[in-house]
Amino acid sequence: MPTKLHPALIGFTVLVFIFLVGPLIIVVGAAVSDTSYLTFPPHGLSLRWFENIFAIDAFRRTILTSLQVAVLATFVALLIGIPASYALNRYRIQLPGWLSTLFVLPVLVPELVLGFSLLKNVAYQFNAPIFLSLVVGHTILILPYVIRVISASLASFDFSVEEAAISLGSPPLKTFFTILLPNVRSGVIAAFILAFITSINDVSISIFLTGPGLSTLPIQLLAHMEQFFDPTVASVSVLLMVLTVAVMAIVERTLGLTFLAK
Amino acid sequence: MTKPLSIRNITAHYGRTLVLEDLSLEVAEGELVSLLGASGCGKTTTLRLVAGFLQPTSGAITLGGRDLTRLPAHQRDIGLVFQNYALFPHLSVADNVGFGLKQRNVTGDARTKRVNAMLERVGLDHLADRLPAALSGGQKQRVALARALVIEPPLLMFDEPLSNLDAKLRVDMRVEIRQLQRANGTTSVYVTHDQEEAFSISDRVAIMHAGRIMQLDTPENLYQRPANAFVARFVGFENLIPMKVVARDGALVTAEAAGGVRLSFGLEQFGEIPDDFVLACRADGLTVTDNLAVEGIPATLGLRTYLGRAYQYQCDTAAGALVANGPLSRVLQPGSAAKLVPVPEQCTILKPE
Amino acid sequence: MKRFAGWTLASPATLLILLGLVAPVAATIYATFGTPGGPFDTYQTFFASSFRRTVLMRTITISLAVTAIALVIGFITAYVVSRAPGWLKSILIIAAVFPLLTGVVVRSFAWLIILGKNGILNSTLTQLGLIAEPLQMLYTPGSVIVAMVYLFVPLMILTLVGVLEAIPDDLIQASASLGARPSATFTQVVLPLAVPGLIVGAVLVFTGSFTSYATPQLLGGEQVMMMGTLMYQQAMVTFDWVSASTIAAVMVVITIAIVLAMTRVARRLNPMAV
Repeated sequence: MPTKLHPALIGFTVLVFIFLVGPLIIVVGAAVSDTSYLTFPPHGLSLRWFENIFAIDAFRRTILTSLQVAVLATFVALLIGIPASYALNRYRIQLPGWLSTLFVLPVLVPELVLGFSLLKNVAYQFNAPIFLSLVVGHTILILPYVIRVISASLASFDFSVEEAAISLGSPPLKTFFTILLPNVRSGVIAAFILAFITSINDVSISIFLTGPGLSTLPIQLLAHMEQFFDPTVASVSVLLMVLTVAVMAIVERTLGLTFLAK
Repeated sequence: MTKPLSIRNITAHYGRTLVLEDLSLEVAEGELVSLLGASGCGKTTTLRLVAGFLQPTSGAITLGGRDLTRLPAHQRDIGLVFQNYALFPHLSVADNVGFGLKQRNVTGDARTKRVNAMLERVGLDHLADRLPAALSGGQKQRVALARALVIEPPLLMFDEPLSNLDAKLRVDMRVEIRQLQRANGTTSVYVTHDQEEAFSISDRVAIMHAGRIMQLDTPENLYQRPANAFVARFVGFENLIPMKVVARDGALVTAEAAGGVRLSFGLEQFGEIPDDFVLACRADGLTVTDNLAVEGIPATLGLRTYLGRAYQYQCDTAAGALVANGPLSRVLQPGSAAKLVPVPEQCTILKPE
Repeated sequence: MKRFAGWTLASPATLLILLGLVAPVAATIYATFGTPGGPFDTYQTFFASSFRRTVLMRTITISLAVTAIALVIGFITAYVVSRAPGWLKSILIIAAVFPLLTGVVVRSFAWLIILGKNGILNSTLTQLGLIAEPLQMLYTPGSVIVAMVYLFVPLMILTLVGVLEAIPDDLIQASASLGARPSATFTQVVLPLAVPGLIVGAVLVFTGSFTSYATPQLLGGEQVMMMGTLMYQQAMVTFDWVSASTIAAVMVVITIAIVLAMTRVARRLNPMAV
């Protein structure tokens, strides 16, 4: 029996959720407005600002860059993050305690500082390609999410199952792929999605590692907003929201959304 | 202080699932009644209804004449002891015990005095300042008990309070609970799935199944004279043999089981015997003998196991598979023929379902 | 052998963080001490400038305000969400997760539309005749605070729903059975047990606000400069990398000090972790 709640509390909560969702609805409204300036409620309905996204060369290029960076960074983060989470869970006693602290460092160090340091001490100092530095920055940024989510699903994995497989004659590497991975599949999917979304949306690292020749979508959006105040930005925002909805639908179908609340 | 509890015609649902059906139970002043049954039988639901954490679909619950049915939980004044103790982890032992007094605006010295007296009674006065996390399982259970007792409730309820303790401690604690309950004379409802625990601690036991009370009686009566096949099986009658009376001759009744096995029963030992009945025997109530001349159920012996006080045999008979015990002095081999002789004091007669 | 296997599996991630994060950030901080004017010269310069002192104080003030507001809104909302029936709870959690997964640029942009000179709020207020002239709402501390609260409330709600749901039902029931009214159960049982979670949420929001860039850039601009926007300006507009490094070092020290101190406090206050 859920405890009865005071009506004032419920009213307050309703207001909070209007506050949370309202601004995003306003953005959608502004995106479909048939005016050359930002307005809400929309005057007339038009999708021309969506066409405008792809008409502007800078948007086309930065969308592509953002996708490339996100895919690469997520792939690398999973590739090195899964073994690291496995090691942290399986060999907890053998590994020093500071190792797990090391893996949360990217959350502790402000992203701006990481971005700036990569620019100053890697890209500039060693003349490393900016794109590479960008991918490295994003990989580091999302690595803690990957390790946390995978570790959470490994925590409920009974490692004696793995030992049972090995005792039945399965070689360790094959055991990893046939026994362990299928059991943490949902964790891997969740990690992939969280990592991808985090990378796509990143501003604070990318802002230092982009320039005239190379930029990501959020950075291009910021630049566009400082010069123009037309509904293009709103339409790009809607595109990003559609991407988010798609991602949430995938999470919902594989794990249930309450997973994200943990 | 203590009051009788009366549960009348309670029906309860979880969503659309019926969990309790027209259940009634009277617990007299100062009496301890256990609700005994497997998980899902409705015993915990009954307790939660009385505590006020669930609402019945229909029926009434009264405590000493006061109608509790629609009262919020915090106004019911019932002492509850939870299975996993439910101690407040952020409060010291003393503050846990004093929590209920604080809600009743008992402050300062009066509260301290009552808390200390209560802690002394459960032997934990030296741990008053500890946090629950620093206590052992048995100590936690004592704190939970003290917390429920200190508010001097007219009714105490226990929800499987000992199931998280090890076997030795469980026996000690149940004696302690019984002593405290007796000393206070508090009406109590005790939920458990452990038969030995229920029988040892209770004035009466309600054996529950599928949302209904199958039998409510003293432990002695339940153990020796179960009212129906369910209770008989529950209290350990392994052999239930359906029989039909074929002849009545004064005080002697002859009845036949499946396969034409005939046995005779003395009315003075079994009381009234209906035409159709079920003979219920524990393994101890069927003695295995290789003297094939006596009256008994002809059997072929199967697996023999050693019980310490006797040998137990899995037996194959015309009336079905039965379990019977034989004396240690005579070791019989599997496959040999034997007779199973009912011991009247260890058997009882049930009406057919 | 096991030790070896563990290290082998963990080494790529370890190396990436050591070489890609620890070394460059350490180099940034180290560089602030190696200036000609003495080891603490850059910091003396930083704190000597009243403008920078103002920016630091403003950043702290705004972050504290955002944290306090987000705590109150987040806790009340999380309490209601955690008590909601199953289906409603899922919907509410989705409604909180969705903004969280939407990027910071998009979410700040929304407030640009709302608070702008010709924005929704101004035009509504004008139409209602409440104001004659549009108000200047953008580029004020208020607009930055509102947008940041918007940014961090979902995070707070989700953190606290997790914390509140971890409080066993038994404790709430035990409290009620001992005669505590719902309000007493809330203040004497729920709230004390939620304190460690409130601290964690507060740390997340404070450090997030303290080191944010996009929101103060869009809604605060030059007028409401914060540490993040100042650092970017020093690094990429005036190309004063020493000054940018100093700001970076101040940010790192303050962030890590707060996280370490508060997690220690939270751990001490968490009776369930013993």
